[in-house]
Order: sequence, then C-alpha cells, then structure tokens
Amino acid sequence: MQIKEDKQGEVMIVTIDDHLDTAAAPLLEARLLALIDGGERKLVIDCAPLQYVNSAGLKVFLLVAKKLENSGRIVICALAPSVHMIFEMIGFTRIMQIVGTREEALRVIADPPAAA
Amino acid sequence: MNEGSITLRLQAKVEEIERLNRQVRQFGDLHEVPSRTLYAVNLAIDELVTNAILHGFEDAAGQELIVRLEASGGELIASVIDSGKEFNPTTAPLPDLHAPLEDRELGGLGIHLVRSLMDHVEWQRTDGRNVLTVRKRNR
Repeated sequence: MQIKEDKQGEVMIVTIDDHLDTAAAPLLEARLLALIDGGERKLVIDCAPLQYVNSAGLKVFLLVAKKLENSGRIVICALAPSVHMIFEMIGFTRIMQIVGTREEALRVIADPPAAA
Repeated sequence: MNEGSITLRLQAKVEEIERLNRQVRQFGDLHEVPSRTLYAVNLAIDELVTNAILHGFEDAAGQELIVRLEASGGELIASVIDSGKEFNPTTAPLPDLHAPLEDRELGGLGIHLVRSLMDHVEWQRTDGRNVLTVRKRNR
C-alpha cells in the first residue's frame, strides 16, 4: 500500500493505491488515524489510482468519516466508475461528500460546511 | 466467454487472499469473462473468503478453504467451501444503509455487497461444511 500525502494550506490530500483490500486497509486506517491524531481536520482522499476496494477498505472510509463528523471534514474524490458503483451500493454516496476531481474537492473543503 | 472451471485450495490466512484474487482474475482473462462479471465475482469471493477466515474459526491455523470457479452457460459461478462455524449469509442481518453517518454500523458491509452484486446466492451446510455458491450472469 503506497500512500501519498500532500499538504496544501490546512488541507491534507491523501492519495491512495490501486488496491484497497484486507491486507492494505489496516495500513491506510493507521495512517489516516495518525493524521487526525496529529491534528489534521480537513482531509481530501484522492482515489484516482483506486481500481479495487472491498468491505475492509470501505470500512476505513466509514470509520474516518465518523471520526471527523463533528470536528472536521473529509471529501473523497476521483472514484473510478466501478469503485463509485460500490460506494453507491453500500449507501456511502448519501453520507459522504464525494466529488469528481481533486480541484473540486479542494474547492468544497475550503467552503464552510452547509448549515444543517 | 470460454467455458471451463478451476478449483483452488488456500490456507485460512488473510495473506492468501491477494494470491487468490490474482488467480480469479487470471481465470477470468483466460476464459474471456466480461470484465463487469469478473469484477463482481472477484469481489464476492474476496468477501466470502475474508469472512470465513476472520470469523469462521476458533483457530484458523492449519485450516483450509476451497474455492471453485466455473464459467458456463453465460454465467460465472463461484463456490466457497469452508469447515468453519455454521454461517448463512443469505439470512444474516444487513446494515441499515439509510442510517445517518453517526448511526452507520461498521459491520455487515461485505455480506451486503455479495447479496447486491450477485444474481443468486445459495448456502448449504453439508458434512460440517459451509458451501456457498454465487452466480453472476454476463450482460
């Protein structure tokens, strides 16, 4: 699992690998939780290389989104069609912010969250 | 799609799953299985095998799983056989997908994916083994 991190202002952009499976998921989870513990509150997860995700990987997105729900923001971008289909199937498109491109993600995360 | 079948044996270890996924994709390429069918069945096998390895055994050491894959009659059929605890994924409760984020449970995602992705999911308990068969039609 290769994880790239790129800090732009107060936003941490994390680019993940092509396979997010049972072996890779704990590595990503540990890295993202370490970033949050280290004080990061605005995360963009760039999924452009991602071609395959299973439930172990999906669980990481859910866990991190829950963790940041009240204290930060997470925006997911650049899902391949097959991966987007899985996110939709599992209901994540309703509870997570998912956009098409990294540029869009940076724009969305810079805006104050919409009033509930 | 070219008809054919393969039987794979693997140890009940998480480290085996990557090799299994590779073999499933190789089978698919060799038999010219349509990519959507292959993707869905590969994911379903991954979920079922992961589940059996992580939750099926008190002690997974030395345990073995069998995965059978068959391309036939316009569909891809996969069976996962394990001698772990009795578990019927066709009746297991599913997570509430409409729950707000704070109430979403972390478990149950894999079984939900299998049931959503496959056209047919069948479970049998035979001779102390779980025999799970999933089917996906080419379209």
